[in-house]
Amino acid sequence: MSGSTNRYTVPPTVTVLTVMKARLVGATKGHALLKKKADALTVRYRQLLREIVEAKNGMGDAMKGSFFSLAEAKYAGGDSIKHTVFDNVDRATLKVYSSQENIAGVKIPKFESVSEPGETKMELTGLGKGGQQIQGCRKAYLSAIQLLVQLANLQTAFMTLDVALKVTNRRVNALENVVKPKIENTIAYIKGELDELEREEFFRLKKVQKNKQKVAAQELARKEAQAAEAAAAYDTGLMQDNTNGITSANLLTASNDADLVF
Amino acid sequence: MWGWEQLYFNIKDGFLEAIVRGHRGGLLTVPDYNNLTQCEALDDIKLNLTATDYGAYLANEASPLYTSTIVDKCTQKLVDDWNNMRCQADETLAKFLDFCTYGHMIDNVVLIVTGTLHERDVQELLDKCHPLGMFDSIATLAVAANMRELYRLVLVDTPLAPYFSENLTHEDLDEMNIEIMRNTLYKAYLDDFAAFCGKLGGTTAEVMSDLLAFEADRRALNITLNSIGTELTRDDRKKLYSNFGLLYPHGHNELSIAEDFDQIRAAMEKVPAYANVFNKLGYGEAQMLDKLLYEEEVKRCCACFEQQFHYGVFYAYMKLREQEIRNIMWVSECVAQDQKARINDGIVFLF
Amino acid sequence: MARIDQEGSLVAVIADEDTITGFLLAGVGDVDIRKRSNFLVVDSKTTVRTIEASFKDFTNREDIAIILISQPIANMIRHVVANHNKPVPALLEIPSKDSPYDPNQDSLLTRVKHLLGLV
Repeated sequence: MSGSTNRYTVPPTVTVLTVMKARLVGATKGHALLKKKADALTVRYRQLLREIVEAKNGMGDAMKGSFFSLAEAKYAGGDSIKHTVFDNVDRATLKVYSSQENIAGVKIPKFESVSEPGETKMELTGLGKGGQQIQGCRKAYLSAIQLLVQLANLQTAFMTLDVALKVTNRRVNALENVVKPKIENTIAYIKGELDELEREEFFRLKKVQKNKQKVAAQELARKEAQAAEAAAAYDTGLMQDNTNGITSANLLTASNDADLVF
Repeated sequence: MWGWEQLYFNIKDGFLEAIVRGHRGGLLTVPDYNNLTQCEALDDIKLNLTATDYGAYLANEASPLYTSTIVDKCTQKLVDDWNNMRCQADETLAKFLDFCTYGHMIDNVVLIVTGTLHERDVQELLDKCHPLGMFDSIATLAVAANMRELYRLVLVDTPLAPYFSENLTHEDLDEMNIEIMRNTLYKAYLDDFAAFCGKLGGTTAEVMSDLLAFEADRRALNITLNSIGTELTRDDRKKLYSNFGLLYPHGHNELSIAEDFDQIRAAMEKVPAYANVFNKLGYGEAQMLDKLLYEEEVKRCCACFEQQFHYGVFYAYMKLREQEIRNIMWVSECVAQDQKARINDGIVFLF
Repeated sequence: MARIDQEGSLVAVIADEDTITGFLLAGVGDVDIRKRSNFLVVDSKTTVRTIEASFKDFTNREDIAIILISQPIANMIRHVVANHNKPVPALLEIPSKDSPYDPNQDSLLTRVKHLLGLV
């Protein structure tokens, strides 16, 4: 029996059978739900894939614009502006805030870039020359960062979904190919065992009945034989009486008479 | 010496003037730029530049080339020319040549000082310095832990000392925004340079007053333009304007209260020389202004080669070379970033 | 959609000097009290080891949410980059100024395209 290895080791009783049946119902329901979740995730996943490809290709152009604006700033302000910029770095004014988005129960981190307004040292950079271009460059890079953060969102979502999808698919497959067959096998096994038991019981009952009948028949036969014997004995007794005439058969004294069975 | 300079000039400075005029001949011309704009890759640019004065400097650069490498090498050419002339120069001319480089020196000092405050590596900072603005004790700038010490130990011995002592207090050194400090120093430098040229007299004073006035006015314009909408107050803004130039003093008053581009424009157009520049500019576009100002500067610098027996040519040569390096940088950036449509937006033809 | 941390996280950059200059202008740069910065300037003198070390440092820092790395540099430490599969910090390959963006070199994009059946 192939299922003998792929089943739970449980005593084959009716109680266990009920438990197993309940488990099978649970597994089927779980499988259906997970399958739905996996489908939802896949839809989102496919959509994401396309968005990522588009965004990645768009990023090339956006960055090109930003790079060029930097070249403009360098043209107007001289090469030394970059050193000034490097030395003006203090605490970040552009930060990323993360929140969570929920797709079919999967939590996906979502970033949002926020440029904190307020006085920045960068503001006066290039006061003598090139300040306009530097501010232009700043704006270009700010918008580039917005785009990059968007892309980061897509990418994180992609990676989280990728993992979630794998886990869900694994669960679906596990339910479908391992858990459910195992429970089904167990149920089949228990049912088989129970049937077997029933058949045995039936056979035993039959056997007992047969036995009883046999015993009864024997008894009957024996009794019949006894009765015949007794009758015969009675006849001979009468005959002896007739011949001897001495020993009269006294019914009251003849104590060892066999019982009569009619 | 007024009027007699032609008699004496060649005795001391004739040789160097000849040299600088020779260098002028080496500047890229319109056909050169036309060739450069046709380039498809940085290697093509290198190839085109081999035929010019930059040839020797770029010849040994291996691929892949970067824009910064090209710019560095071209700057090196200017620096070598300059140092060569500086070595040959006679006392007055030497001082004049030094004056020309003080602008870079201010940038370097500011760079080192801010770098030191941020605890950066000194050697790294020195690499970033502009080679024309180097002076002997520059490396020691980094030893000072705070600005006060810096001034007492190092800056006192540099040519920039008077600019610091006359314009900045100790408190300023500690608290002032570095950009304001830079511009305060630059203003002091320009004033000093103008005074020095005035003292030299003769054609030099005449030519240089024109060039420096333009420089001062351009700075005033830029400072105004770039400080619109910033924390810089009107008074502070006015303090950064140089005390000479065509805009001084009335134009400065108008500029200091200007709050948008059109007000600046109105102030600038009162001076006929700048009215021409602004006429080329359509209303509402400030982007092209830098290029127009560069063009104006180049025009003035070229014009000063028309006269002989004066020091202005050296200053003009430096400015022209720098513009040329800017042009090359622009062309290289456009080529490297595949933005050839914009290539003509940045080139200022020298002759 | 509530914000998890009111503090906000940083964006780290590993790129060439010019690219970083641009991002610093935008206000990305951060240098804390211990002089620890969130960007690494890579020039011809920077060793692969240094890049790797700071990349690992950035990936392990709690306060960094996004890492931008320029593509030629990512190629230098491709094996480390390819092994990074945590969703946070998100790793983004950005084009470099001197070389146009080549989508085929991007680890993630290759995977995405493979999944879409575009390759």
